[in-house]
Amino acid sequence: MTPTPYKIVSKGLNFYYSKFLALTDINLEVQANRVTALIGPSGCGKSTFLRCLNRMNDLIPGTRVEGELTLDGEDIADPKLDVVELRRRVGMVFQKPNPFPKTIFENVAYGLRVGGVNGKHYLSEQVEKSLRRAALFEEVKDRLHQSALGLSGGQQQRLCIARALAVEPEVLLMDEPASALDPIATQKIEELIHELKSNFTIIIVTHSMQQAARVSDMTAFFYMGKLIEVDQTEVIFTRPAHRQTEDYITGRFG
Amino acid sequence: MTFFHEQLGILRAKVLQMAAHAERAVENSFDSFLNKDQEMAQEVIERDQDINALEVEIDNVSLKLLALDQPMARDLRFIVGCMRLVIDLERIGDEAVNVAERTIFMSNLPTQAVSPLMEQLTAMVRDMFLKAIAAFREGDAELAAQVCRLDASVDEQHFKVVKNAMNVSACDNTIMERAIHRIMVAKAMERIADQATNIAETTIFIVKGVSVKHHCMPF
Repeated sequence: MTPTPYKIVSKGLNFYYSKFLALTDINLEVQANRVTALIGPSGCGKSTFLRCLNRMNDLIPGTRVEGELTLDGEDIADPKLDVVELRRRVGMVFQKPNPFPKTIFENVAYGLRVGGVNGKHYLSEQVEKSLRRAALFEEVKDRLHQSALGLSGGQQQRLCIARALAVEPEVLLMDEPASALDPIATQKIEELIHELKSNFTIIIVTHSMQQAARVSDMTAFFYMGKLIEVDQTEVIFTRPAHRQTEDYITGRFG
Repeated sequence: MTFFHEQLGILRAKVLQMAAHAERAVENSFDSFLNKDQEMAQEVIERDQDINALEVEIDNVSLKLLALDQPMARDLRFIVGCMRLVIDLERIGDEAVNVAERTIFMSNLPTQAVSPLMEQLTAMVRDMFLKAIAAFREGDAELAAQVCRLDASVDEQHFKVVKNAMNVSACDNTIMERAIHRIMVAKAMERIADQATNIAETTIFIVKGVSVKHHCMPF
């Protein structure tokens, strides 16, 4: 795998929930147009780190960031930064599909409308493009104006991905995006991740070792708020350098 | 310990059991050759099926673990290593059978003292094989590397045996047949040393996660 330029760089990042230090000295470089998987046991800090990347932690009172965190060299933690614009550039997909109680079309168009786009033709084009990118268009093209809540779980999750893609983000954060889905829907999401990486930088949190192994180019192992090891995925899953990584991925923890 | 790791323990025990069978086959076939013991040679031939049966059993256990548990890192390397190891052990069993069959064959020929070169070769191959198994059992990559280095001296000794057999039979046609059999026995022994080298290389792969096959650089 050829290394690509760094899209996101974290240097000496510490993160606090009030007095609790949840992330300690995280040094991680995320390559552009690659899939980076964050793995580790519950409470290890991987989701906290993910949420630092689009400032989702700002919504929790008492949180604090120290150190350096940049997107294309720009400081993500800068208080003067336009957080709405940051979240447009860094989209997010959550564990449970969370479509709005609106039509399929309006779900995908939502971010664009909020961003001031109203041109009917352009909206239609963007909605179709996003649904195609999310490998959902063929399944829903005849019911774009029906409620999104009528879709299956797997379709709803792809709709959420389409919604995230509609605003043309550069980075896509995925927090266990397939954990609530059946194996077929999971496979579709994983194939989608493969296709999306040519246009987007993807960071995925997953509890499934197999999923991390299947979809990611790089894997980072977090444990107790620290980044223990990051390397090419095939290295992490065949001959990790650290004992803790090995013990975790072979199920010898605890 | 998880159920999966218990199963890995069972897999390891079965591989060691197969190694013990192969070890007995090597010891007994070599002894039968050196002592011209037909009965012992016959026993080696008959017992080969125990080794074959274990190969099939270990293959099944390994496949099941790979399919059901999707192992990673050292567990994955261990299972893949075991699958390679049983192929080598099975072949070692076959070579021991070759030695035993030649021993029986040669018993019908005029007797002759065993050459010191052959005695040395048997000792060298035994040593290599036992060390290879010990390296696997103990997960000792250093000892495994030592085994790999020994292979060249076995090859050299094998060459000496062949050369000597050719020289001897060139002077006296009546002993040519025996010389040819001796060359075949030496070849079987040399092959056992090759399989022992494979076992040692697999051990290094399991322990360190690097391939040292065909003198290649680690990854």
